[in-house]
Amino acid sequence: MVAQVEESRRATSRRPVQRLINSTLLYLTVAVVSLIIVFPVYWMMISTFQPSKYILHFPPPLLPQELYFDQFAELFSEHPIARWLRNSFLIAVMTMLLCMALSVLGAFALSNLRWPGRNLFGLFLLVTQMLPEVLILIPLYILYRRLNMLNSIPSLALIDAAFILPICIWILKGVFDNVPAEVLDASVVDGCTELGALWRIVLPLSAPGLAAVAVVAFFFAWNEYLYAGIMLSSGDFMPASVGLSTLKAIAQTPVEQYMAAGLVFSVLPVVFYLAMQRYIVSGLTAGAVKG
Amino acid sequence: MNERVNADALAGRSSGRKLPPRILRRRYLLPFALALPIVLYEGLLIVYPIVQGIYGSFTRIELASSAATTWVGWDNYERMFSDPAFWKVIRVTLLFTALVIVVALTVGLLTALLFNRPFRFRPIARGMLMMPWAIPEVPVVMIFIWILSPQFGVVNILARMLPGVTQNPQWLQVPELAMGWMVLISSWKAFPFYSLVILAALQAIPQELYEAARVDGANRLQLFWHVTLPGIGSTLELLVVLAAIFSFKQFTIIFLMTGGGPSGTTETIVIRIFNTAFRFYDYSYATALGVAGFVVSLAVALVFILMQVRRTQESA
Repeated sequence: MVAQVEESRRATSRRPVQRLINSTLLYLTVAVVSLIIVFPVYWMMISTFQPSKYILHFPPPLLPQELYFDQFAELFSEHPIARWLRNSFLIAVMTMLLCMALSVLGAFALSNLRWPGRNLFGLFLLVTQMLPEVLILIPLYILYRRLNMLNSIPSLALIDAAFILPICIWILKGVFDNVPAEVLDASVVDGCTELGALWRIVLPLSAPGLAAVAVVAFFFAWNEYLYAGIMLSSGDFMPASVGLSTLKAIAQTPVEQYMAAGLVFSVLPVVFYLAMQRYIVSGLTAGAVKG
Repeated sequence: MNERVNADALAGRSSGRKLPPRILRRRYLLPFALALPIVLYEGLLIVYPIVQGIYGSFTRIELASSAATTWVGWDNYERMFSDPAFWKVIRVTLLFTALVIVVALTVGLLTALLFNRPFRFRPIARGMLMMPWAIPEVPVVMIFIWILSPQFGVVNILARMLPGVTQNPQWLQVPELAMGWMVLISSWKAFPFYSLVILAALQAIPQELYEAARVDGANRLQLFWHVTLPGIGSTLELLVVLAAIFSFKQFTIIFLMTGGGPSGTTETIVIRIFNTAFRFYDYSYATALGVAGFVVSLAVALVFILMQVRRTQESA
């Protein structure tokens, strides 16, 4: 008690100069760390929004010299980027719908119902999420080839959904866990069936979690590169992730267009991921949140 | 509120809240009916291919001709274990995975400690911190290909400041540099996630512990060593395993930037599997390599699960 009082007196009597130095140091460190972290992103913006005559110079200027906006129109007219984005969008929407339908059921079973095998089901989902995608690629490729399912957007969405579904279920489970037990019990006592309770009570209370699952599933498929590149080898179905990787900076695509393509592709995932980060992180650490 | 709950749970603490609701069981079939489609779906697209892969690794697969696959027993495995290139791949994989775990978690821990202190623009700074994590891998690769361009890459400005560097290095052509960049880029992409999780664990440490330790005369280092570290210890352990899993899986960045080169020095096992199958069309051997990778990742996943079980038992 005495020590505490002494401590607080010492804190208040600390000279303002010292405090100023401390806080300046803190802000300086934060600024430097943030700069290092975002520099690559900053450099993408810089390289997008100024004419390449500035950037194709060594050493390049670190600050923008002139703004330039025609690169987007040039990009869309010189590369089939609109079609790539459309394909990505289709794959992502299908993956999202499939994932949401299945993950609502799975999360309800995992969170709100008690049954033998519940833990086993949760573990099964955890393990499937941890295996490297490439291990399954070859047998799945052979299977798809035999079934004539290559070069089809819905076929790829089926695979993407299988990979991201376990994470979606774990995210939703965490959300469903927060639905107050009293409300659920009351609804069952009032004669509501379990599925009725899911539909009328759990889902309306879990809107942000559902949005998070939609975001995770959509952008997993949007970003996915490995399977898209193998399963959709024909140009007509090429999604943007694969399409962008075929662009060659300078040699074939001017730098400002090359970086503009990366920017166009990144805007949506960055906005939505940042908005939903809490839920997504809780899902990725699934087991860590609640065993 | 959610952040709070997660923080408590991540830090292995029971949050003192009511347990999740469990509806009284009347119809026992319902949960199985709900889980069955999911188990079948995952079974068909994940488990079945794995079983097929294990079977395939004992055969010779001819995709081009319609000839039936022939049983070759342990041939693929004998070839694998006597192949010096395989052991090189294992060494590269271990090196890459270990380096990414160390770099990404160290940076993640340091930024979490920094961003845990109160300062005015913290929400903005945190948003920026999450940026690398939110950007998809393919644009990340594009950005770094451009930054590392030997002709105009901006990173050369820094390199030229070093004594003795008079020319822009061929960043991805020199084995050590290429490996270094693969580790740095993968860590840059991965660390914000670890940082966010550690941040949640830090915020779950009760302030009273710090106050009590300060009253006892602990200095900053002692506070960190005796209060902070024990508070986030189990979270860190968990993240080491998660980081191992994530970096073991890393494909897109390495594949698109070096393809495993120069001369195999960045060729991790996932890249090797891909190259064996889709560059050399040696599907059977690639499947055997896949089984080797499967055994390793399953072992790591089991460690993760055992840690989970231990944690839930402790917090229960």
